[in-house]
Amino acid sequence: MAYDLSRIRNFSIIAHIDHGKSTLADRMMELTDTVAKRDMAEQLLDSMDIERERGITIKASAVRMFYQHTDGNEYMFNLIDTPGHVDFNYEVSRALAACEGAVLVVDATQGIEAQTLANVYLAVDNELEVVPVINKVDLPSAEPERVIHEIEDIIGIPAEQAPCISAKTGLNVDQVLAQIVETVPAPKGDANAPLKALIFDCLYDNYKGAVSYVRVFDGEVHAGTRIRSMATGNVFDVTEVGVFSPSWKPVESLTAGEVGYIAASIKSVAETKVGDTFTSADNPAAEPLPGYKHVNPMVYCGIYPADGAHYNDLKDALDKLQLNDASLVYEHETSIALGYGFRCGFLGLLHMEIITERLEREFDLDLVTTAPSVVYRVFTLDGEEHIIDNPASLPPASEIEHMEEPMVKATIMTPSAYVGTIMELCQNNRGIFHDMTYIEEGRVNLHYTLPLNEIIYDFFDSLKSRSRGYASFDYEICGYEKSDLVRLDFLLNGEICDALSTIVHKDRAYPKGRAVAEKLKDVIPRQQFEIPIQAAIGSKIIARETVKAVRKDVLAKCYGGDITRKKKLLEKQKEGKKRMRQVGSVSVPSDAFMSVLRING
Amino acid sequence: MISLYFHIPYCIRKCRYCDFCSVPVNETIDGYADALIRELALKKEQYPDETTRTVFFGGGTPTTLRADDLCRVLELANRLFPLAEDAEISIECNPKTASLQSLKTLHGGGFNRISIGLQSTDDSLLRRICRVHSCDDFLQTFEWARTAGFANINVDLMHGLPGQTTEQYLGSLQQVFELQPEHISAYSLILEEGTPLAEDVARGKETLPDPDTVADMQDAGMDALEHAGYLRYEISNFARPGYSCRHNLTYWNNEPYLGFGVAAHSSMGNGTKWYRFSNTDSIPQYLRKIAAGRVPEAERILINTFERMFETVMLGLRKTEGVSYASFSRMFGCDLKNVFAEAIERNRVRALWEPDPERLRLNRRGLDLLNMVLLDFQERNYWDLLKAD
Repeated sequence: MAYDLSRIRNFSIIAHIDHGKSTLADRMMELTDTVAKRDMAEQLLDSMDIERERGITIKASAVRMFYQHTDGNEYMFNLIDTPGHVDFNYEVSRALAACEGAVLVVDATQGIEAQTLANVYLAVDNELEVVPVINKVDLPSAEPERVIHEIEDIIGIPAEQAPCISAKTGLNVDQVLAQIVETVPAPKGDANAPLKALIFDCLYDNYKGAVSYVRVFDGEVHAGTRIRSMATGNVFDVTEVGVFSPSWKPVESLTAGEVGYIAASIKSVAETKVGDTFTSADNPAAEPLPGYKHVNPMVYCGIYPADGAHYNDLKDALDKLQLNDASLVYEHETSIALGYGFRCGFLGLLHMEIITERLEREFDLDLVTTAPSVVYRVFTLDGEEHIIDNPASLPPASEIEHMEEPMVKATIMTPSAYVGTIMELCQNNRGIFHDMTYIEEGRVNLHYTLPLNEIIYDFFDSLKSRSRGYASFDYEICGYEKSDLVRLDFLLNGEICDALSTIVHKDRAYPKGRAVAEKLKDVIPRQQFEIPIQAAIGSKIIARETVKAVRKDVLAKCYGGDITRKKKLLEKQKEGKKRMRQVGSVSVPSDAFMSVLRING
Repeated sequence: MISLYFHIPYCIRKCRYCDFCSVPVNETIDGYADALIRELALKKEQYPDETTRTVFFGGGTPTTLRADDLCRVLELANRLFPLAEDAEISIECNPKTASLQSLKTLHGGGFNRISIGLQSTDDSLLRRICRVHSCDDFLQTFEWARTAGFANINVDLMHGLPGQTTEQYLGSLQQVFELQPEHISAYSLILEEGTPLAEDVARGKETLPDPDTVADMQDAGMDALEHAGYLRYEISNFARPGYSCRHNLTYWNNEPYLGFGVAAHSSMGNGTKWYRFSNTDSIPQYLRKIAAGRVPEAERILINTFERMFETVMLGLRKTEGVSYASFSRMFGCDLKNVFAEAIERNRVRALWEPDPERLRLNRRGLDLLNMVLLDFQERNYWDLLKAD
């Protein structure tokens, strides 16, 4: 029997990294006896190793809880945990669209951060009721009063009633649960109308196939229902529906207002896209739920096995990761320097880092990644437009009419002491200043337009180090702009090393060329012959360095007792050689490609 | 015919760069010569019919043992593994561990070649690497060795030492030339992991000359040696004609040898069964096993034919005369040029061979880059094909 709609509350938690989102979720599950205390792994919702270590959420997940309110009634809570990073902005917006309310957690020692703000705005756009909560009030440096004012000033929602809690100790967490009942509206929906279920995440399971996480808005779904994807038109037979407790628990049916999962022997997550609507194939709804869009990768890079022999292992690993991550795209690519590998597209830099880290950790692969590239629009003299995500495929300069690069609108929140150095950083990265507003005394909000190309290297790291970790940063893509771009190539012993080519702004080419050439000189070991390293734009050489020839590579002593050891040393040297890439006559260690990435000239 | 090696693991004090098996002299030294004598008897049971071409007492500092004890060991070696008429019998010695008397005893006991560790004639440099002697101590020892009758003397020198300059090194060479030793070993310092010097360098407490300076020293030193009439016959070894060290050539020719004492290595076999094996490097364990009448072996590795071919090249190419095609095919029944065709070709393109119809040998540049050359010889493609047939 369907649960009384008026006693359902669907909500998510919005918080900046480290502000205590997962800890609060853990306490809620404890208080509602959803999970026995002894079964609590620290931060239950973040199940991936990387998520736990970095304290971030990559995949959305959900949990159903039952809460006994002081009014004597029992309420069903569906908590949908969202990824907290701008790279996953779209996923966040869909997860929020599945809710009627959001709990905003703000660290009483830190205040609001740029990313939190972005997500709160998303919640407000989705017409969610926001329940502010002040966390970490047990810390000596907590300033709950200041933070309450900040919430009221910046977001413009009343916060004087906000529970002051400590998710760590459990202090006042019960107040949060009570406020969810009182503030978050009950879902509306018609259980008898045609089925409309919003997919807010999906996950691949070896036995069930692709499992969709859904919020049912109208109608009802059960095992046996024939459902249709309204984005693709594909039809599936539902094999199982269930809820999150927090592990998957099959139920009879899911009805309007509820949150759960649908398994329908779907082969890949690519077929159940986030934001899509499932309806009944036999009694379809007229309109899908709003907001679905196809998400395109923003950042591309080449990923190669450090040892060329592991190409197939890399392919298998990418196949497996894609089962769970429809936003990861990749296709086979061949580099003269690096051999066989893949051109991979990501939602953003964090997404790229997470994928490469998972490939290395979960699949034990040694990788070489090439410099990340954004997607350029290149207009050639013949009037055609080309979409270029790989510097190697850029047409010759003589054929290019003009180029456009993607721009972002950036919001940077920082203590005012660091404004000078941060403005300098933005300037260095071709930023266009818009305005600076005071959030309160001592804290400002800076708005810039920046080329995406400039922030994909180490912008975030520089921002953090210039502000001693205090500044926070958020951005959204705001279209393309015409720009004076060139391809910067590097030649080793006269031959172009394709894996090192990048597209940069003309004004940045010289410093970047010099910095990379210098770095290459340090990381390329001496070889039999002197190796000239050149940075070039077209046929014009803009920087030159030289790796001197090796003079001695021989062991001075080798007598009776040294022979076995000497053989082992040579074996080691041979292993090292396997990890070298041949660029023409030059051996380049795999690490060289990586170390060059860390330069922002 | 084989060679015999005796390892004496004691020194007055360990040098900062040394990673050989050696310890400061302690009470275990008293029973050490007797242990060697027992080990000779044990090995005689395993190898009853071997005769000997060369003998080498190395260390450590062999002359930390009493001269008559060393002679006793040699005497028994001669009895169990009969020495050839013209056998080369070498002993290493450091200044301050030998007297005229002890050197006379050694010479009288049959030793006919002595190798003296000098390293540098610069006293401040000697102190910096913790040598126990001065240059004068060395000169004294050298003179005594001649007086005692040694007509074949080697002097060890090093370059690339902390703070050393090319001028200093060339000065050391000149001073040694004046003494007219028959043989000079000129080593480039190898910074070995775990040595006090390596730790000092890692911590920035000590700095070594940069690789280019060391290469300059080595090149200038080789020219000076050649000019003074010392022919380079191995990477770091130079001799007047006829005075190459025959014992060390055993290693570089990949011929059999038996080692005695702590951490001593052996290489013995016949046909396809070839072994490298070594004794324990713990003195107490060595003495215990010997006392119990057991072989003090710690490790034994079977060397397959391809590995042995590779070793033959790895060691043979250290010699300026390289590897003779004829001797290779005598050893293995196949042609060196075939087995390593690809590696030979790759290094021909790099211009690292000295033209020679009889031998595969490196030119001076090739000898400088031996490690690089050997990486190509590790590929066993051709050999695998050959075996598959």
